[in-house]
Amino acid sequence: MTMWGQYSYGLLVVMVAAIIAFFALAREYDDFHKFLLLDLIEIPSLGVIALLGTDLAEALVLPGLTVGIAEQLALSQIYCVKQGIKERPVSRLNIEVVAIGDAPLIISIFLVVYGILLSGFTGGGVAGLGLVYFFASRGYKENLNMLEMASGISWALWIFAFFCFMFLPDYWFIALMCAAVGIVLKVTVKMSLVGTMWGENRE
Amino acid sequence: MIIRKISHVLCEYRNIMPLFAGACALLFLAGILLLPIPYAEHQLYPKYIDRNSTLDPYDRGGPPFVQVTIGSQYPENSPSAGLVTTYLTPFSLFLSKTTLHLGTTIVAHPGGILDEILYNTRGLDTVVEPTILFIAFAIASYLYRKG
Amino acid sequence: MSDPIGGVPYYILEFGDELVYFTPYTITLFLLALTFTVLVIISRPERQMDIAFGGDAYGTKEISLTELQFRRFMAIACGLASMGAMVTGDIFNFTLFTAMVGITNVGIVAAVKSHHVQDAAFQYGLVALCATVPLFGGAAVYAASTGSLSMIELMKGTLPAVPLIAKALLVIGVVGEGMAPFYAAKAEMFRAPGAPYVIMCSLSSLLIFLRVVEVVMLG
Repeated sequence: MTMWGQYSYGLLVVMVAAIIAFFALAREYDDFHKFLLLDLIEIPSLGVIALLGTDLAEALVLPGLTVGIAEQLALSQIYCVKQGIKERPVSRLNIEVVAIGDAPLIISIFLVVYGILLSGFTGGGVAGLGLVYFFASRGYKENLNMLEMASGISWALWIFAFFCFMFLPDYWFIALMCAAVGIVLKVTVKMSLVGTMWGENRE
Repeated sequence: MIIRKISHVLCEYRNIMPLFAGACALLFLAGILLLPIPYAEHQLYPKYIDRNSTLDPYDRGGPPFVQVTIGSQYPENSPSAGLVTTYLTPFSLFLSKTTLHLGTTIVAHPGGILDEILYNTRGLDTVVEPTILFIAFAIASYLYRKG
Repeated sequence: MSDPIGGVPYYILEFGDELVYFTPYTITLFLLALTFTVLVIISRPERQMDIAFGGDAYGTKEISLTELQFRRFMAIACGLASMGAMVTGDIFNFTLFTAMVGITNVGIVAAVKSHHVQDAAFQYGLVALCATVPLFGGAAVYAASTGSLSMIELMKGTLPAVPLIAKALLVIGVVGEGMAPFYAAKAEMFRAPGAPYVIMCSLSSLLIFLRVVEVVMLG
């Protein structure tokens, strides 16, 4: 008979949360609410991973989180097409104090530069936020192909870094830099694409 | 016929989601009943927190370009493991010497134990993960443009 | 490693902590996935015929080239993901490949312009998203209770036993990700032209089911 350790108590709490969430999901019949509930259900899953309590747990939470977000991105678009939602008017960001043209630009530039200084996951997020803010506040028509190409290049850079780590471990420093730059590009591009999606159809 | 009734419920695709969610709820309930789960003594990548370090929650255990030992599964497969862990960019090295708070944002810089795990020792996970993101994005942008 | 379930590994490819191994069992599944991926690449998609009952009227459905190209891309990605899931030697990596199979299956179906098909794809996508919870949860319990994620280590039998609940979570997660064939008899999800791509859905699900059987018998 095994003893009740801290791990088991933690698991008990997470499992109770999961049961509540799944029960709510099983009773829900509206598609949109199901979708929102699924967002909540991801949290117990991350909880189970986090209970590992090692550095490995933190490294596993990141892919877990990304997969959830990725699937939600695809599903939300399927939902829009399915429901025939085409016009998605987004009201312009309401900035009253400063001239509407310059302030978002300055803030965006600041965020992008700071994000590039940070690099890595967080840096990509910050830089991406800057671009999202820029596109969302400007109604900017961006060439999607350019952004997709940048996304592809960053992916290729990452794969190169992976093979470098695996087969040329002496060049770990180059691989680290490639991976860090790749991730900045990737996260930035993904977030700015979200910005262009919001930005279109507004004028 | 009970089987016919079951298959009648199953063949309606709108019923699959509640059924699956119910099954998951039941499984987690069973999980609670089976609960005291032993936590293995020996874990990979154990976490040590040194409150006195300036890099507090993410202290890497050494100066840059010095290899440290990390608790990976197959150390012989990653001869360079431990170098990424200690790496700090010159800018972050400066910050870590002047402030006490770099440790809280250390994951934002290239280097560190998370980057070591994500890029190096468990790099294959991280290759699959952006691929999933890529696929999801391809679906979303295809549907968006087709409208 | 006295009597492994899938046979003695012929070859182990090392990617840091994650080993890719080929046993007689996994190599068979791998070759199957490879064959079908090649078939998807070279085959030409079919056109669906609509025949009106009680009359002579019939016609082929027009499908745009971009739609077919997109579905072929998804089918190839699905094939690659199944190949990865067949040979990976790491529990968490296996769950990631399985999640990728799930989302490419959604993609293959969601590209079709039809309200029925879109609705079915959305419902299936919800199940696939839901299934990531037990999938990753199961992998995490594996790691916590045995202290390892490597299938090679689990094979050796020196680690603590894997709790039943971890195996159950992993299996239900894979079932959720590979739910597509359960609709195969039902036309809604497959009321869609382009035969080889839809078959990739079913095949990839079958393959991940076969692989998860081996995985849960290891520890």
